[in-house]
Amino acid sequence: TAARLFLPVLWSYSTHLPSHCGGARHGVAKTDTEKQTEDTTMVFESSDDEAPEEVTFDASRTEALRSMKQALDTARREKELLKEKRRKRQELFQEQKKIKLLSDDVLEEMDSASSNLKGNYRVATVKVVGALASSQQQAAEDFIQSRLYGAGSCRTTNNELLSLQNKTGRNKGAAVQFVKKDWACKQKAKAEKLKKRWIHKQHIPSC
Amino acid sequence: MGEFKVHRVRFFEYMPSPIRAMAFNSRTDRLAVARGDGAVEIFNFADNYFQEKVIPGQDSRAVEALCWVGQRLFSAGLNGEITEYDLENLRPKYTVMAYGGPAWTLSSNNEGTMLAVGCEDGTVKMFEILEERIQFQRNHDRQKGRIISLSWHPSGTHIAAGMMGMIRIFETETGKQTGLTHDWIWSPANKEVVVWSVAFLSDHTVISGDSAGKVQVWDGFTGTLIKTHLITKWDVLALSVSQDQSSLVAGTSEGTVTQFQFLPLIVGQQDKEWVRTRTFKNHSHDVRALAHTETAVVSGGMDTQLVVQPLLDRVEKNTQESALRKIAFPHRSLVCCAKKSGLLLFQFPEHLELWRLGESDGHGKPGDSLPVRKKPEKLIHLKRKGEDHICCSALSPCGGWLAYTTVSSNLKFLLPSPSSSLQLPKLPKELCSAHQLCFSSDSSKLFASSKHSSVIVVALGQSECKYLHTLKPKSGCEIHIYNLNKLKVCLNSVFFIFVTLFGLSLLYLCHVGVMQQFDCDPCLQLHCTVPVYSSCPTAIAIHPVTSNLVTVHANQQIFEYSLAQKEYTEWSRKLQKQGLHNLWLERDTPITHISFNPNNQAHIILHDMFMLCIIDQSLPLPDRKTLLYNQMTLRSVPESERLRHSHAFKICKNFQHLLCVSTLEDQALVVVERPLLDIMSQLPAPVRQKKFAT
Repeated sequence: TAARLFLPVLWSYSTHLPSHCGGARHGVAKTDTEKQTEDTTMVFESSDDEAPEEVTFDASRTEALRSMKQALDTARREKELLKEKRRKRQELFQEQKKIKLLSDDVLEEMDSASSNLKGNYRVATVKVVGALASSQQQAAEDFIQSRLYGAGSCRTTNNELLSLQNKTGRNKGAAVQFVKKDWACKQKAKAEKLKKRWIHKQHIPSC
Repeated sequence: MGEFKVHRVRFFEYMPSPIRAMAFNSRTDRLAVARGDGAVEIFNFADNYFQEKVIPGQDSRAVEALCWVGQRLFSAGLNGEITEYDLENLRPKYTVMAYGGPAWTLSSNNEGTMLAVGCEDGTVKMFEILEERIQFQRNHDRQKGRIISLSWHPSGTHIAAGMMGMIRIFETETGKQTGLTHDWIWSPANKEVVVWSVAFLSDHTVISGDSAGKVQVWDGFTGTLIKTHLITKWDVLALSVSQDQSSLVAGTSEGTVTQFQFLPLIVGQQDKEWVRTRTFKNHSHDVRALAHTETAVVSGGMDTQLVVQPLLDRVEKNTQESALRKIAFPHRSLVCCAKKSGLLLFQFPEHLELWRLGESDGHGKPGDSLPVRKKPEKLIHLKRKGEDHICCSALSPCGGWLAYTTVSSNLKFLLPSPSSSLQLPKLPKELCSAHQLCFSSDSSKLFASSKHSSVIVVALGQSECKYLHTLKPKSGCEIHIYNLNKLKVCLNSVFFIFVTLFGLSLLYLCHVGVMQQFDCDPCLQLHCTVPVYSSCPTAIAIHPVTSNLVTVHANQQIFEYSLAQKEYTEWSRKLQKQGLHNLWLERDTPITHISFNPNNQAHIILHDMFMLCIIDQSLPLPDRKTLLYNQMTLRSVPESERLRHSHAFKICKNFQHLLCVSTLEDQALVVVERPLLDIMSQLPAPVRQKKFAT
């Protein structure tokens, strides 16, 4: 068989690599040149055990040219993407600026109001923006929730509470999930389904 | 007792909403309770704790505080709005934005002229209470954290505000902080303490309940701590002081209510101190709201029950007043049963459910459970539109019509039977804002109670609904009976009753019976008015055959009134003369529904939360010495002697926590149950308590 050639193999970081090679790139700094070679290496990607293929000079030249072109293309594309991103951000800022300003009809109303303010003027109540009010309300509700039921609140479940009552009360009884057959029926059905699936996976013949 | 085939319905998954706030009005003896879904309920403590009014909730209205000002009721919610309620028409009257983010607390001064609101942004906002509205007056000095609790000094000169980790006292005239502020930042496990509740007493003592589980007594002049009572490992969520300021109660996350009293340490001496005296454990979950009445402590919380715990040093022992009361279910029916078609309508705040009852063809001995041939079937799940919750709904006896309303929207109609390929009829404009609906027994008319105690009558037709009349009653707590008969229809006349309550509001009751014609009144004339009785009626019905009106009142009295003779019947007089059995009068839940046995004229079927009772008018009434609950003992007596031992009240407790009992046409009975255990299993998590040896 062919002698093993010790060529440095450059791995790309694409995720389709075999998992055992994941550590190969560990600790290598990412540079621009490497970025370019990234695409070229894709071609050479092969497993260790195979012998290198024979490649003619012409073929390799065209291949190299093609890869160069590809690299240039990606660079250009990236630039364009960045441009697009910036443009979008700019648009967003402008939009936000617009929102901050009052709407035209409100301004108009104020205009008309100021013109005949003396005498018969009226005051209109401005509604708090719905989203703001509801987010504040949500924050307030979350505050109560976190204070009463959040971390460190030391809560238990209703099941345990009732079972404890059964255990310590005058009329002793079993835990609630055994006394009440319809307790948590959804969870029970789910558990049953999962159990079946597990048995199926294990190829255990059901008895 | 009469034999029935019983449909035992357990698929109504009714879930009450937790209690968030409470306010007691000692002048009118009314308690207002706000629930988590924004609904506000009013209980009349003078009339056996009867739930008089229910104002349905709204999605965004998270009521956090309630406050009475005279006869007016205000609420503040986390949506940042202050709402005044129209207790006459059972709806919010107006809302005012506080413009300070979510409003956490609301308190009025003793004179009832100012309203203080504590907001998320750290301001205490003062509103002036005017005749028809409230008007913003000024802000107090802005604080860093949210204002969680407020309490006025009885003189109205100062106000104490509880915040995150501190209490501040403001002068109400200027809105400035007084020189004395309590700052105490004590944080277990780096958590800031929340002062959930404060109380400002007339001797300038400030009492606070906080998230560290302490009730602390502060001197309001110097700002120094006088005494700390550690009462729980969890939070102290609510405080309430009695009118005479000698007793204080604190509600905790553990579900306990702890009482403190202002007592001299040595008998006979003047120096008094706040001493912890009693602890009540009536709740399984957090106590979120408390009210200290003259004689009792009223508490409510996450376990959705309202508990009235009498203080035995303030009431006479062994009386009705000294008994503990728990109010778990609403005092009105949420279930509507179509007798002819076997349909059930369940009302939830968010939606309606229409079910068809199951069937079974088996025959068995009394007590057997029959095999189900056809399972009950959910026909319609109807979601309401808009933000408002459903306030009432009705199903016509034929099952062909379904109607519901919310506070803001007009009446909605639906035809459940797909066979009738009709257009939905147009409704007259008068029908908006109904708060009780009722169909006539032949499903040809709809009655809707509306603004100012008026009742609107609408004729239901194939293609359109026609507005017929508006009935306006005179004021007073009366039962009015109208004869709605058109002269053309001679065989039956439809009678319709409704009840007004002290001229203020229409009660939730309305019922229609069909009866023999006995009087050729021109249509829409007031037929008669039943004599006034001091207690509020909780259930009313007209017997379809004998045309007797049966009313049951909040104080458990039963009356039967003959509409033909326009007087109380013989049986009713006898009952009043002899008096009801003590055990009957001591029951603590009101009768919420009356129906009649179609096969036996003498049977009246009543139910409350715990029992189902069939009153047999042909049997003798029980006197004080006879056993009231005698169904079990009767079974052991030989057949021949049973009649001698039996009496008119046949009580069955086989079905627990009843929401509705109704008769069907084929000698069947529908019993809608909702065990409290099922409700409890769906509540939020309780606190974990270590029990010895578990």
